[in-house]
Amino acid sequence: MKNIITLFSFILIITSCDVVEGPYEIDSGDITPIDTNTYVKKILIEDFTGHTCQNCPAAARELEAIHDIYGDQIIGMALHVSKTFARPYPSSQAPNYQYDFRTKWGKEWDDLFGISGIGLPGGMINRIGYPNEHRLGKDEWLARVISELEKEIDFGISITTNMTGDEGVITINTEILNNIIGDYNLVICLSESNIINWQKDGAEDVENYEHNHALRSLLSDENLSTSSNYTAADKIEKTISVNLSTLEQFNINYSQNTAELGNGNAGGWDASNMSVIAYIFDNTTQEILQVEEAHLNK
Amino acid sequence: MLKKITYTFILSFLTLNSFAQNNGGEIHGDFDLNMQSYQEDEIIGAKAADEIILNNAYLNINYTKGDFTAGLRYESYLNALMDFDDSYKGNGIPFRYASYTIDGLEVTVGNYYEQVGSGLIFRSYENKGLGADNAMDGIRLKYSPLKGIYLKTFIGKSRTYFTYAEGIIRGADAEVNLNEALNLESKTKIIIGQGLVSRFQADINPKFKLPQNVAAYSTRLNIINGGWNYSGEYAVKLNDPVGSLTSEGNNYAKGNALMSSLTYSKRGFGIVAEMHRVDHMEFRSERAQEKQYIINYIPTLTKQHTYTLLALYPSATQTEGEFGTQIDVFYKIKKGSLLGGKYGTKLIFNFSRINALNVGSSFLNDNRKHTPMFISIKGEELYYKDINLEVYKKINKKIRATGVIAKQSYNKDVLEGKTPGTYGIVESTIAIADISYKIKKGYTVRIELQELLADGGEGSWSMGLAEYTISPHWFFAVQDMYNWGNHEISKQLHYVNINFGYLKGANRIEIGYGKKRAGIFCVGGVCKEVPSSNGFSLAISSSF
Repeated sequence: MKNIITLFSFILIITSCDVVEGPYEIDSGDITPIDTNTYVKKILIEDFTGHTCQNCPAAARELEAIHDIYGDQIIGMALHVSKTFARPYPSSQAPNYQYDFRTKWGKEWDDLFGISGIGLPGGMINRIGYPNEHRLGKDEWLARVISELEKEIDFGISITTNMTGDEGVITINTEILNNIIGDYNLVICLSESNIINWQKDGAEDVENYEHNHALRSLLSDENLSTSSNYTAADKIEKTISVNLSTLEQFNINYSQNTAELGNGNAGGWDASNMSVIAYIFDNTTQEILQVEEAHLNK
Repeated sequence: MLKKITYTFILSFLTLNSFAQNNGGEIHGDFDLNMQSYQEDEIIGAKAADEIILNNAYLNINYTKGDFTAGLRYESYLNALMDFDDSYKGNGIPFRYASYTIDGLEVTVGNYYEQVGSGLIFRSYENKGLGADNAMDGIRLKYSPLKGIYLKTFIGKSRTYFTYAEGIIRGADAEVNLNEALNLESKTKIIIGQGLVSRFQADINPKFKLPQNVAAYSTRLNIINGGWNYSGEYAVKLNDPVGSLTSEGNNYAKGNALMSSLTYSKRGFGIVAEMHRVDHMEFRSERAQEKQYIINYIPTLTKQHTYTLLALYPSATQTEGEFGTQIDVFYKIKKGSLLGGKYGTKLIFNFSRINALNVGSSFLNDNRKHTPMFISIKGEELYYKDINLEVYKKINKKIRATGVIAKQSYNKDVLEGKTPGTYGIVESTIAIADISYKIKKGYTVRIELQELLADGGEGSWSMGLAEYTISPHWFFAVQDMYNWGNHEISKQLHYVNINFGYLKGANRIEIGYGKKRAGIFCVGGVCKEVPSSNGFSLAISSSF
């Protein structure tokens, strides 16, 4: 009997092996991004990164690849953090790595979620799993995204902007889709894409690397409502004024005076490449329940 | 679900315990506590802990009655020490098991640690110093159908912190001692072994074909004849892409590892010559390329130094690819000879060298295929080199001395995962003198003087240690590491540590205070980064 059990185990193991033959890439045309003109589940991928982090571009490419598959249901945010990988180089090494992408809020979130402490790149998918299982390597993002996409939504978010030059107003409309009770915050951020600057990519120093989704500023992080009871079909509107020059100067001052080994080189914002990202998270679990993104100058 | 199973298990365990009180059986256990306070120290980069003190503690309890054993481990991280991953958080009983043996069949359910061969294809283990624990949770069977034939098979999931990885791991191993199995009287003993491990994880990737069952297998051979001992193992891991959505992220190449060791020893002399070659051989309990999922082990091919400055720049095995050689020679100069003196003199010479594989490790995807040359040394990127000589001498009944001289080359960028070109290779020359003086029975003083000369890395270091032991209960130690050669004058710092301990019976208490530098800590080629710290420490261990 025991011999049979052992023999069976060996046979099981020997046959437990799949060898995949190329071509390895398959046609994923059967996945059609769903219509995002109505409220659908959207996912925020927070990619903690740094311009001298050699493995970080691979994570950025993973994020773009996930976006390519699932379309606008995927919203990215790149947070440049840590002294080790995101500090600007000393001016003696100019022009390499002179820009400081770091922000006050990137550092605060990095401290809260402990991402760079265990190495970059690292990320979170809707901050699921906090406090013990929220930090994910890039290879773990896809599985978490797929499981998140299965979830139903309780909130719909829409963003409208009205900008004139550097100044304007951003309005976030939140529609409650189900009767729910909870303690939720609404966060409004600015990010910028198409920033051409230095990036370490493997062993290469890439001068014209395209940095996307870089967090620029946190505009608001407040309770969604004074009440914890939300009724289906209720709508909550939040309007916020922005002045890009003031926000940009804040980052320059932060880099100059607060960030470790900063140099104040954090300006040069281009409003035409900026986006508003608004998300609602559960104050108890930190889970991001819904997120939306819109161009700032739309 | 995990909690429910654990509580059911504890209940059963407690029931067994009360049963044991009445019907014999033995209960043993051990307790371990490590507490440390963390003060901010900007000069050395040490951070304060919000909690002021952090604490790790463990209690193992094992019950044995005849061929039945059961046990559990309670773990407490409130919160985890700073050099631990803070995913270890809170309290729990992550390890519990029951096992019995009958008619040669050993059945284990619950958690267990297991290894196939040298670990090239599978090792589940725990090391508290490293913060590593990838215990299996499942079922394991061991059986010896005939004399000299040892079979084992297992299935389970591998622990990551307080949860389990996604993959299901299946394994089997057969070992045959030919001399025992065939009743051979030969002086030459031959042991052969074959292991197989397979991981199942569903393919959810919409863009790339992924193997759901990834297998690894290894064959090993051990031949012993008199003072000669040959040990070799060859392992292969089949296609194991990480499941990325980018083509460059998925490597479909097979991995392989070869290790070979030849030893000769006789009274007063021993020599070990070893080599290993590792190519794309990291095997994980989940596809993701994260250290907490690693379930295999490539034994390091460098000497594991214990003296602080010799271990300042340790070698971490590069499981994705390296080629290494090592030779270790032990010789004892006879008593009464000119160099041997009254008690003889022991010499240990060691040389090791590790380098990169030719143009990197194996890679295969739709766009690129690369297989490195099997052996290539000249011109390849050096990872690590160590040449050292240790001399041990008992001078008289009161004085013993050890001296070591070493020259090391350490590729800081590769071995610490830094950006290539950041630090380059740190060349260091190290000398150690360790003298122990027995004042009188039970009273011993030991002095260590260490010196490391280097231009790269953090520059040169000196270290002094004085230790006073009053056997069997007390010991006191004071140590200073001085980074006098740091290129940044502000970092030419002293790292002073004071420790004392009390031992009585099965209990040991140690209290310390001091500054620790940020560095790399390794056990057997598995390494972790340790942050700098400043504060008090308390360590208690106890067993019953």
